[in-house]
Amino acid sequence: MAAYVRKDQRSLTAAERRRFVAAVLAVKRAGRYDDFVRTHVEHYTADGDRGLRVAHMGPSFLPWHRQYLLEFERELRAVDPAVTVPYWDWTRDRTPAASLWGEDFLGGDGRRGDRRVTTGPFAYGSGNWTITVGVTDDPFLTRSLGHPADPIALPTRADVDRAMADGVYDTAPWDSTSGGGFRNKLEGWRPGATGTARWACHNRVHRWVGGLMVGGASVNDPVFWLHHAFVDLLWTRWQARHPGARYLPAAPPPPSSAQYRRVVARHEPMPPFDVTPQDVADVRHLYRYEG
Amino acid sequence: MIRVRGPGRRAALRTLFTLAVAAFTGGALAPLVRHADGTAGRESTGRGTGPRSGFDEMYRGHRIQGGDAGGGAPGVYVDGRPLHLMRCADGGFLSPLDHYASYPTPLAAARAAVDELGAARLSARAAVHGGGRAGGHQRGDGRTGGAGGGVRA
Repeated sequence: MAAYVRKDQRSLTAAERRRFVAAVLAVKRAGRYDDFVRTHVEHYTADGDRGLRVAHMGPSFLPWHRQYLLEFERELRAVDPAVTVPYWDWTRDRTPAASLWGEDFLGGDGRRGDRRVTTGPFAYGSGNWTITVGVTDDPFLTRSLGHPADPIALPTRADVDRAMADGVYDTAPWDSTSGGGFRNKLEGWRPGATGTARWACHNRVHRWVGGLMVGGASVNDPVFWLHHAFVDLLWTRWQARHPGARYLPAAPPPPSSAQYRRVVARHEPMPPFDVTPQDVADVRHLYRYEG
Repeated sequence: MIRVRGPGRRAALRTLFTLAVAAFTGGALAPLVRHADGTAGRESTGRGTGPRSGFDEMYRGHRIQGGDAGGGAPGVYVDGRPLHLMRCADGGFLSPLDHYASYPTPLAAARAAVDELGAARLSARAAVHGGGRAGGHQRGDGRTGGAGGGVRA
């Protein structure tokens, strides 16, 4: 099977936008979308708690989300084989006026007050997008673009470049406090920082979108997939730029380590997937990024 | 209903309230405090048989309370509903409503959660986390969102 292409959302045709939205709505209608929301919620283990951190605050942040996107994309392509997950380059499309937030695509900002999204196909009023796995009692999608209550800007090209320049994939203690390594610089944990500096790169984008995207149920906003497709694109570019660099840790931390059984090593599966970081290290036979 | 899953979670909660109580036991009898934002709150001591409330205040229209880890029950509440705080390696906390930054104290995390809550009410079944290690079952039919195993790189 030939590799398919994931496109920059800004270059999609009107028909491509329409077909992506239709496929997402079909997955939602079938009840499968909410399963994806649950999977993300249930695999978020913080690094001060015990247990395996497979999705966040750990080295497998990137490969876990790579596999998660592949599985979601498989659902979309079962509905419409022409659809792939587009990416949102938030270093370029930086304002609520971007076509990303158009009425024919992801819809716009939330309204004042309850932050309800009222435009586009994912507005509650459309009847097609009821939140069932949320963190509040509200059944509607919420956004607060730019987080006006405490304004924040999207990460910049320079922010991304600082992460891309680090030729080591990840460093001990393999968590949100890792001072070095591409993974934590891109995931965006900044222990000890104050104000909006607490959010960097990936984390900062969740904060900028606001509403449901800030919380554990962030997958409820379809922009989640476009955001993570760009994060995944950055990983592929990092891999190309540092061809000798591989996923770390290569081997599991020993029983004497505080990280024993809490992080995924290169050849260990990433629950709930029966897939290891090594399995998804090279995806060029599956898909490639345009641009 | 948020279920407390396993000894790890309970241990974490115990640690949380040990810290919270330790932070407040130096105080006198439940001093009424006035916060910087003008809200009134009560920070009580941990006197008595065990951990008690670390804080109880009205913040932006929501009542936030921290405490009672008795029986392993969740210890921070928003309008009476449990707010599941997770511990971060830097010593801070994050909540289901604000998942991408660590806050230094349970009170700071609870206020940040209310900031994101706005006029909404915290879900009574708000996102429980970290259950994935128990197997990741999400549906009665055993399917998981994104665990179909049909895509291999």
